[in-house]
Amino acid sequence: MLQDNTARGANLPSAIVAVEHVVKRFGHFTALSDINLSVTAGEKIVLCGPSGSGKSTLIRCINHIEKHDGGRIVVAGVDLTDRVTDINSVRREVGMVFQSFNLFPHLSIVENCMLAPMKVRGLSSEEARERAMGVLRQVRIHDQASKYPGQLSGGQQQRVAIARALCMQPKIMLFDEPTSALDPEMVKEVLDTIIGLARDGMTMICVTHEMGFAREVADRVVFMDRGTIVEEADPETFFRAPRTERAKGFLQQIIH
Amino acid sequence: MNSLDFSIVFQSWPYLWSGLLFSLALTAAASVIGMILGTCFALTQHFEVPVIGRIVRAYIALIRSIPLILVLFWFFFLVPIVLGHLSGNGRPIPIGATWTAFITFGLFEAAYYSEIIRVGLRAVNRGQFEACQALALSTFDTYRCVILPQVLRVASPIILSQTIILFQDTSLVYVLSLTDLLGAASKLAQLNSRLVEMYLVVALVYLAISSAASQCVASLRKRYAIAGSRR
Repeated sequence: MLQDNTARGANLPSAIVAVEHVVKRFGHFTALSDINLSVTAGEKIVLCGPSGSGKSTLIRCINHIEKHDGGRIVVAGVDLTDRVTDINSVRREVGMVFQSFNLFPHLSIVENCMLAPMKVRGLSSEEARERAMGVLRQVRIHDQASKYPGQLSGGQQQRVAIARALCMQPKIMLFDEPTSALDPEMVKEVLDTIIGLARDGMTMICVTHEMGFAREVADRVVFMDRGTIVEEADPETFFRAPRTERAKGFLQQIIH
Repeated sequence: MNSLDFSIVFQSWPYLWSGLLFSLALTAAASVIGMILGTCFALTQHFEVPVIGRIVRAYIALIRSIPLILVLFWFFFLVPIVLGHLSGNGRPIPIGATWTAFITFGLFEAAYYSEIIRVGLRAVNRGQFEACQALALSTFDTYRCVILPQVLRVASPIILSQTIILFQDTSLVYVLSLTDLLGAASKLAQLNSRLVEMYLVVALVYLAISSAASQCVASLRKRYAIAGSRR
């Protein structure tokens, strides 16, 4: 077994996400310039930085919701830059949670979770329902399964959105400011769900300003400003002794 | 005119009934054809399909700017001539009044429904498309399972209102010598010199059906407003 693992480890690239010299422009505005980031399996990355710094754009490039203009992005061994790449083969392995939940309002909670496993993974409706109920139980919302998104609170909706992504059994989870659209009293239930996921060993990249959360789960904090990665460190080092002036300024602002 | 005598209405009820059935069948057929074609038309606009999208755009603009009665004339008189030329022998190939009515109304409605659906497509939040992308749904599944069901829900009151107008417009088939509800009534009215009674009763029938459908629109709106407390 051990031998088998090392042999496979040697064949696989060590990084599950590799971002190399990535550039993204919106018209004349350069949203990302020369971004390099490598994430190994099981690693938890927190991306932070002032608004407009490009952190959301970066994770949206990782599952190709935004198309990068230069450089290379390799996810789970598949190069997104290749023209021949079937983007959906990558997206199947990458779950994403949005700031505004983006649940399907016309489908019930359980149907929201069943749709993609049935259509993309080819599960039968019984299998998809069973899986969906299992994951909804995991995020502690299974008792709301037959309701519609509009009947749930923001925090509950976001937990459903997490469950919907998990039902695809992704290798990597991307979180795009998962708590910034929530009322303060609902932030904790969502963060607790994400922390639980982190404990289970999920690889994740999370854009957030929740610094307590970052301290608790992050292996690495990546600080971005004006489309570049300014600083990268473990959370203790980053919060206690940021090296750059920009990171110091940012931390002072969010603490107040 | 001394007194109203509605007995004629009851005596001739089967004839009126057959006229009403024709009106309803035409409305149903035209709305089904219109919905299917209209959705396809709207999607060609939404995806900005080259060439076909432009042709559809022009078609919709044309149909929406001319009266329905003129479209009926075109189909009844011109299409047989065109078909004749296409078939080679030059003699007009009649397509028959009933077929003309069904095809024309279907094509006419498609242009109107298409505009409603096109606007509905634009109103769908971009996040819905992104969520589908992130879940690796194919474009086909994205539209079939997520986008179009939402569009149809939001647009259903407007679509139903358009269908009520369509129901009233079916009376225009008199120009093709077809007998719908109004056609049946006016024939009976002239035959029996009971114009007032006939036209009153027919107006009541139209009123009853249209207002029932309007009630339906209202309850749809209400239901949607509850189920759709969307973000």
